[in-house]
Amino acid sequence: MTLRRRIGLVLVAVLLLAPLIPVLGWGFAERWPYPAVTPTRWGFGGWAAAWSQGAGPAVWRSLGLGLLVAAIATPAGAAAGRALALGRVPFPRLVTAILFIPVAVPPFAVVMGLGTVSLRAGVPGLLAVVAVLVVAAIPYTTYVMRAAYASYDTAYEDTARTLGARRRDVLRRVHLPLVAPAITASAFLAFLVAWSDYVVTLVLGAGRTVTLPLLLGASAAGSGNDPTVAVLAILAIVPPTLLLLTVTRFTRRKGAQ
Amino acid sequence: MSAPLSIRGLTRHFPGSATPTVEGLDLEVPAGGCVALLGPSGSGKSTVLRLVAGLDTPDGGDVAVDGRSLAGVPTEGRRTVLVFQKPRLFPHLDVLDNVAFPLAVTGLRRREARRDATRFLELVGLGDFSRRRPGTLSGGQEQRVALARALAARADVILLDEPFSALDPAVRAEMHTLLTELRAAVEPTILLVTHDRHEAAVLADTVAVLLDGRIAQHDTVSVLHAQPSSLAVNAFLGGRNVIPGHVSRGFHRSALGVLELPRVTAGESPAALVIRQESVRLTARGDSAADLTGTVVSAVDQGPRALVEVEIQGGPSETSISLIVAEVGGWAAPHVGDAVGVVLPLEQRHVLALGQDDAGPGAAVAAPGISLGAG
Repeated sequence: MTLRRRIGLVLVAVLLLAPLIPVLGWGFAERWPYPAVTPTRWGFGGWAAAWSQGAGPAVWRSLGLGLLVAAIATPAGAAAGRALALGRVPFPRLVTAILFIPVAVPPFAVVMGLGTVSLRAGVPGLLAVVAVLVVAAIPYTTYVMRAAYASYDTAYEDTARTLGARRRDVLRRVHLPLVAPAITASAFLAFLVAWSDYVVTLVLGAGRTVTLPLLLGASAAGSGNDPTVAVLAILAIVPPTLLLLTVTRFTRRKGAQ
Repeated sequence: MSAPLSIRGLTRHFPGSATPTVEGLDLEVPAGGCVALLGPSGSGKSTVLRLVAGLDTPDGGDVAVDGRSLAGVPTEGRRTVLVFQKPRLFPHLDVLDNVAFPLAVTGLRRREARRDATRFLELVGLGDFSRRRPGTLSGGQEQRVALARALAARADVILLDEPFSALDPAVRAEMHTLLTELRAAVEPTILLVTHDRHEAAVLADTVAVLLDGRIAQHDTVSVLHAQPSSLAVNAFLGGRNVIPGHVSRGFHRSALGVLELPRVTAGESPAALVIRQESVRLTARGDSAADLTGTVVSAVDQGPRALVEVEIQGGPSETSISLIVAEVGGWAAPHVGDAVGVVLPLEQRHVLALGQDDAGPGAAVAAPGISLGAG
């Protein structure tokens, strides 16, 4: 690695990690008055406060929402991506454009309208949240899966079938293992869409579905509770980071094979 | 593990195509036999294999294995394994698990499947490669694994779609030897698709020439070359000598003169005399055994062999000029300008009926390297 590259890498790392330093500091601080460089009193008060405000259930709710959205948007994106990549969709450009509308349109504008519609239609808030987040995640999962299927050779499936594999064996033993890295990546993206969502959950959930971003937003709106906000921020960062590391390891190992 | 394959009237007409890709194709492959489907690119060879394997649906005709029609039987239930030009080993499985794949999908326990697969891996000489990943193998090794996997499936019929055409000549020769050994050991029924005449000759018991979606001729390699059923078959098999003329009472009359034929034919009709360049012998000028005399106008070295073009003077008119092509050992090739005698062995002379268009005065039948002067 050249010196210039090393410097670049360090700069990127600093840019990414620097904002986390005060968050980590506040997460374990009882007192951190200005202009002290480090907290003047360390402690776990922020954690206790976050817990008492319902951080635990909020994490579980966010996890559940993320996994549910990923579980629906990933197969849907895989099916759409495969159909688009293999030329089985009429007017593919038009279909792609329609699929990507949720990314292009500001979510706030869409959700405000949808909120009224879903309320009048009597759609339960959580169901509406999941449905809209799935729609928001599908463009990402489709994009990743279409790229994967563009380089996917369906003759592997033909080979497996002539070797006696039934359709479910082909899916389980050939198709899914071959696209597993892409499926993992698209599931991760879909999870992130739901995990980090604020607007959709707030408006369509009508404040009843309290996820981690909602709790974080509410805490951040007040003043004097920096340790609690920092703890909630740490809780929001850690699970996707761990997931990202797992996904990277998995896809790298698959790639090496 | 082997059963006869019978194809009757197989037809496939793809939407948007002016002509059927495969039309009324009949073919029999006996149990334990190997038939090569030989044809140029686009002749419909691979389509036939896909239809037999059930990866495509015919518009007409039937495929039967061991007398059992495969109409409506899905690919996985046909017991017809297809080996492609690209081996398509599953990259997420190691070599042993690739070979064990057809055993695993039957529900066999992994340990038993692997034990059985090991036998087939050893059969193709790759017993030590079981834990290797497909990406670490050479092209020849990959194709060996693909063959082992096909054998492990214990299919009734193995379909080979140009399996060795991507390999370099030395490895291809090794694979030909391996397939011959596997045939002796396991006796699978094989339908081989290839565009390589040499490969078809080396591997198959009989060869079916597929031209424009139809079987033009199905016979042994020697008969195909010496007695092609049509000018198209002769041209595809590389026959260089096509002399238009007329046949009557056991003789062929052309710009070369009157030449006796091995069999007497009734009546008189336009016909081309066909003789393989490998059968033509060159002798010294004045040799009494020579049927014709001429002058060498070109001699092209082709490694151990040489392709020699001899301009024949004489015939019914002194102005008649024809070319005869002979393939001889490179060491025995004469030089350009040499006067030579040309022997056309009687048993190797073959006549093909000519249509109205082919037999016009001075007509030159299309064949590479041949130009026929009018008398």
